[in-house]
Amino acid sequence: MIFSKALRGHALIAVLMIAVFAALPLVVGERYLLGQIITFFFWAIVASQWNLIMGHGGVFSLAQMFFFACGAYATAMMVEYGGLSIWLALPIAGLISAASALLIGAACLRLAGAYVALLTYAIATMVQVLIITDTNCYQMVNNVCQELLGGATGFSGFEDFGFRKLLKANWILGNYYVVLAVFSVTILVTIVVIHGRYGLAFRAIRDNLGYASSRGISRFRYQMIVFAISAFFTGLAGATYGGHFKFAGPSLFDFSTAMMVLSMVIVGGLGSTWGPIIGTAVIMVIIEWMKEFGDARNLGLGLALVLFVVFMPGGLAAAAKRLADRARGSGKIGKAAR
Amino acid sequence: MEILIQIVLTGLTLGAMYALASVGLALIWGTLGMFNMAQNMFITVGAYGAYSAIGVLGWPIWLGLPAGLLVGALVGIITHVLIVRQMLGRPNFEMNIMVATAGVGIVLENLVLQAYGGYPYRQPVNITGSFKLGGVVISYQPLMIILIAALLIVLTAVLLLKTRFGRAIRATAMNIDAARLMGVQTERTYLQVMAIAGALAGAAGVLISSMSSLSPQMGADPMVKAFVICVVAGLGNVAGTGATAVVLGLFEATIQFYFGVRFGFPAMLGLVILVLIWRPNGLFGRKSVVRL
Repeated sequence: MIFSKALRGHALIAVLMIAVFAALPLVVGERYLLGQIITFFFWAIVASQWNLIMGHGGVFSLAQMFFFACGAYATAMMVEYGGLSIWLALPIAGLISAASALLIGAACLRLAGAYVALLTYAIATMVQVLIITDTNCYQMVNNVCQELLGGATGFSGFEDFGFRKLLKANWILGNYYVVLAVFSVTILVTIVVIHGRYGLAFRAIRDNLGYASSRGISRFRYQMIVFAISAFFTGLAGATYGGHFKFAGPSLFDFSTAMMVLSMVIVGGLGSTWGPIIGTAVIMVIIEWMKEFGDARNLGLGLALVLFVVFMPGGLAAAAKRLADRARGSGKIGKAAR
Repeated sequence: MEILIQIVLTGLTLGAMYALASVGLALIWGTLGMFNMAQNMFITVGAYGAYSAIGVLGWPIWLGLPAGLLVGALVGIITHVLIVRQMLGRPNFEMNIMVATAGVGIVLENLVLQAYGGYPYRQPVNITGSFKLGGVVISYQPLMIILIAALLIVLTAVLLLKTRFGRAIRATAMNIDAARLMGVQTERTYLQVMAIAGALAGAAGVLISSMSSLSPQMGADPMVKAFVICVVAGLGNVAGTGATAVVLGLFEATIQFYFGVRFGFPAMLGLVILVLIWRPNGLFGRKSVVRL
């Protein structure tokens, strides 16, 4: 196995990164900053899964935020209606997302690239519109009508991880480590997928579809599997998001949110291993920095997006790789750098 | 009968506006192979252009539509020169250009917000008055919209089918290498396509805002519908896109009338999903045979 070496290398980097994040609360005490890092974990998970399915699997999916919302909604509903413990709800929500991905995939994945993008987008938007415009009361909560799927306001204030009781003032640390655990599992599995058999299959398909097919690699089957994997972790992230913010609502489907995460993927580098995570950090820093400019905030974000894409095609990952190659001397191209 | 007239009129008005918004999108997809995620702002900017010309500068009302066309075309040209031209032919163009044009959309939306604020202005470019047909009161405005949209689309069709530069556009869309070898300046063709698409979107913006009101976000909804229409028709098929827009407009109006407004758009999307599963290349799309 020529790739197992790359796999081990990336896994090592991942473990180091996770260790740093695990030790971070010792240095960082500020609750706002910890909250921002938790948000970073969520978007980094979604971005890495988006990169997995789009950059490696070659599926132009715009349904990723749908899977995210699916996880959050499933958790909210299981906790709110079913009275389920949130710890049990998390993995089930992930599985529900994965199941919905298999369903959507069965309908979409035989289509050509751009059609997949629009069909997945259409499905996500359709669900969002149906949720927002639903006004039939399912039950009354404090004399306020609650729709079956939460309607335009969504669910909020349901039971969370319970650290507020357990850790009192330090409750955010409990949430931090829960989200970090989900993040760690996601990143490790993603690396195994990218640099293991599935990644190999996708590289083979990309290099020569005819030859790969004749060797028994079914693009449809591999894409379905990776679509489900990415949906599982995206849904799990959504479920944890619901548990952290005690919120699941139609704003999770918003196109602007989807564009923000997609830009994290693109700025970081589509098809790379670490690009999406770096991209998430960069975009979040830009957003944070732009907050000082008040009204001009979104203007700056839009400009930054355009500039990144125009001047840095391939994203930060490709730029870093070019830099590394130049430093190593031309000619030698790192086999496993991407 | 009265209900039928009402539904047909609403459907045709919707269809006419959708057609204008989506034909440009189809044209861009067909020639440049890109999703223009800034289409919503082409629409919005056109509407604001007309508003400024009539409501602020005090031009005569009949210049409203030309103003919208012009501003739309201008934005299309600027987007092409500053961004699209730089990125054409690069690896991952299809995905990168989506993000880039989405960025352009964000920038433009915020520029409009800064310049005009979020106040929902009324579009001064409209006509009042109505007449009666078989017991149904019909205002002139929707009829005007249908007429103008039909006129612009026929004009675009003539441009594409009968003129020399229309032939160049179609040739570029069919086979860019062959077109280049025949002496078509594809760079210029791209610019023309972006200008036409921008102009059509700008006109759509003027018409759409005349039925509701102006706002920086007004283009979002028509853009989504335009995407849907392009996909149902088969990406890049301009004539099919126009026809599909009208049919889907009628379909939406019917659903809205019988099942309530909330189901109009979801039903449209549901129809799209069914169509794509049944015909993976859209209604008018030709099956592309890929040889390995």
